[in-house]
Amino acid sequence: MSESALGAGPDALEETLGRLSKKPGVTAALILDRATGAILKTSGQIDSIRKNKPSAAPLPAQTAGSLTGEPDGDDGASQDQGADELAAMIWNFVATAGSLVEDLDTEDELKLLRLRTKKQELVIVPDAKYLLIVVHDTPPA
Amino acid sequence: MEQRRGEILAKKAKLAELKRQRELRASQASGRTSASPSELSLSSPTPGRPNRSEIEDLINSLVREPRPISVSTGIQSPGGRGSRPNSVLSAGDISTIDYHSEFAGPSHGQAHPAPSQPQVYSTVPLTTVYECPPSPVKEVFSYSKGVQTTDDWPPPRRSRATSDSDLEDAVTSTPGKRMSRRERDREEELREKLRKEIEEELRATKELVTDGVLKPTPATNFLARTLTAEETKAMIQSEEFMDFVDRSTKVIEKALDQEYDILTDYTLQAHDVDDEDEANGNVGGKGRRKVKEVAQFYDERWSKKRMVSSIDFSPKFNELLLASYTKNPTAPHDPDGIVQVWNMHLHDRPEFVFHAQSDILTAKFSPFHPNLIIGGAYSGQVLLWDTRARSAPVQKTPLTGSGHTHPVYCIDIVGTQNANNIISCSTDGAVCGWTVDMLSQPQETMSLTMPLPSKYEDLSPTCMAFPQADPTFFLVGSEEGTIFPCHRYDRAGAKAGVDARVSYKGHAAPVMSVDFHPSRGPVDLGDLVLSSSLDWSVKLWKVRAPAATSAIAPGLLGLPGAESQVTPLLDFVREDVVYDAAWSPVKPGVFSLVDGAGWLELWDITVETEEPVARISPSPRKDGRTMLSKSLNKIAWEPLEGKRLATGGIDGTVTMFEVGPDLGGKENLKNEEWTSVKKLVNRIEAVGVNGATA
Repeated sequence: MSESALGAGPDALEETLGRLSKKPGVTAALILDRATGAILKTSGQIDSIRKNKPSAAPLPAQTAGSLTGEPDGDDGASQDQGADELAAMIWNFVATAGSLVEDLDTEDELKLLRLRTKKQELVIVPDAKYLLIVVHDTPPA
Repeated sequence: MEQRRGEILAKKAKLAELKRQRELRASQASGRTSASPSELSLSSPTPGRPNRSEIEDLINSLVREPRPISVSTGIQSPGGRGSRPNSVLSAGDISTIDYHSEFAGPSHGQAHPAPSQPQVYSTVPLTTVYECPPSPVKEVFSYSKGVQTTDDWPPPRRSRATSDSDLEDAVTSTPGKRMSRRERDREEELREKLRKEIEEELRATKELVTDGVLKPTPATNFLARTLTAEETKAMIQSEEFMDFVDRSTKVIEKALDQEYDILTDYTLQAHDVDDEDEANGNVGGKGRRKVKEVAQFYDERWSKKRMVSSIDFSPKFNELLLASYTKNPTAPHDPDGIVQVWNMHLHDRPEFVFHAQSDILTAKFSPFHPNLIIGGAYSGQVLLWDTRARSAPVQKTPLTGSGHTHPVYCIDIVGTQNANNIISCSTDGAVCGWTVDMLSQPQETMSLTMPLPSKYEDLSPTCMAFPQADPTFFLVGSEEGTIFPCHRYDRAGAKAGVDARVSYKGHAAPVMSVDFHPSRGPVDLGDLVLSSSLDWSVKLWKVRAPAATSAIAPGLLGLPGAESQVTPLLDFVREDVVYDAAWSPVKPGVFSLVDGAGWLELWDITVETEEPVARISPSPRKDGRTMLSKSLNKIAWEPLEGKRLATGGIDGTVTMFEVGPDLGGKENLKNEEWTSVKKLVNRIEAVGVNGATA
């Protein structure tokens, strides 16, 4: 682990994320707190990831519902809301995956999730305290 | 039986663990209750009757509509996003006190004294109407069950599982103390379910305790809590967070850089991607002697305006290579010298960056320890970095006193796994030997001087090379163009230092590199040496065995101390200054060189001694300077496979190439290749120097 990225604090963070989102195909990046699921940092177009907004997916609908309730009051927070919902879904997904791993072997630990769909790929790096999610378009197969 | 016993033991251990957890929890809970009463009292006005059906109703309503709660908080949030949502939520979610004590706990303290809060408090009772009643109700219930439960039940504390289990938890655990008997049967069932959940939870908390890190319990709900700007900022600025970003983005970049698509379905379409690829890529040579550019390494932040001063592949991980850099004159606050370790699968960002306070002129992986990197600096320091440590060197030699006071351009680690030394050589002719454990003082020092007949004493080494077999003998290339053999220790017929009896004269300008043949084959070619020089040539030498030099000294017979001059076997005259030349680690007749015009040339002396068999120039960077930026300084082969090589130069880019099967790779090595090199050497020796100008 080099200090390179630690050098300039927030600047370095922006730089690293910026470079990540400049990579071909990358649409968005998101950093969450692993414990609470709170969004710490976003970059890119979170909105473009969820194509079907009104009909929330069945599983996270409940949780996302309680979530969407909050920013409802905020007028200009529709984008936040999108990010929040996405975060909730991803967070639940990671939690489920994590519990699967734990059920298989308690000593084991989730290290990387690559969720490949027909249209895009979510690469998720879970850490003890944080989650980094990067969404990128996959080349047409 | 054995297995059974093991199970019993495991269960016992678990039980003990449960107890321990409970105690721990109890102590936490007692601490917690001190914080929560205010909130509880807020909710107590709502009437709660100890009626089971009513509880069910409440539960149902809670399960179905968690929304009202968050809505109400949402209403407040537009007012200001300061620390307010915290207090609201934490007050609202009383039923999950424990949860807050973990996640929002710290914010309690902040939220309450905040001056602009009263409004929030007033609304809290309204928002908590749904959530709170269960808890007072259950308080009433829970006593009667105390007999059964107090002993083997941990106090109700869950980091909120699914809302259902949460409720069950709340319903049963608190009633556990005061519930009337008719409810008992029902409760047993719930209890069973709960037991499982709690065990699960205990496992989670165990991790929590052991790691000291919070891990989400598997079934936990997503928390609808937005962090305040300050909290987010604090978290983002923490070193831990930066560390995480650093690590995780590397992983992701590698994942994204992975070019091969494992999901490619070849039955679907027949894309002729490969042909395009061939045409577009930067390719030199033809057919089996092809050279293809495969990657370029450049980091916007660290490579900018620096020059590559050396390149070395990791002997352990063949996807890693290091490059050392000189200073960036436009960034006085950045460290002068850096070493970057590049990963083949990560192109625009180094795996590691190491710093030094002075330009790094040479760096090398330790062949005996995959984590260690040694370097020589312009200040005369020898530095040691560890990839497990941070970017600063873990050890360095002192600036003053013993050691080097002039720039160290050449460094090497010689010896064996158990006994190895760092040998460094500075431009004033000082050679030092160091142990890896202690760089405060050299283990051995030696000063190289010109052998006697010379008019002046000073010898300025520019490069140094050790043969494969002998760690006590080495060659140094000098600024005046001669290559001198040197001994580290006194030996029969020769004193430590420059061997006065032999010198390899041929170059007319400073020697930029000397390289011994790696010679891992049926015929020993270890005495072949390749040297490159600013006199626009590369020369091939046959070096005399260090011990035998006195026996066969031809020259002026009978005169002791007379110098015998050895002339090169082969002379490869080029069209520009040659900065570096290196033998292929696997192919006996193949070597590569880089020149001042920016060309990488591959030669195979078994095929052709007048012309390179392939040449290529790294593709220029898009935003790079166009003038005077092409020159290449260094070349290095990947030692294990011998298929890839890397070059670097004045524009700070490290470019990696892959060679065709006739120039590298271990697949089709033939013994004839060694013998044909040997034959070539013998023929030249017999016939005399071919084409050498000396």
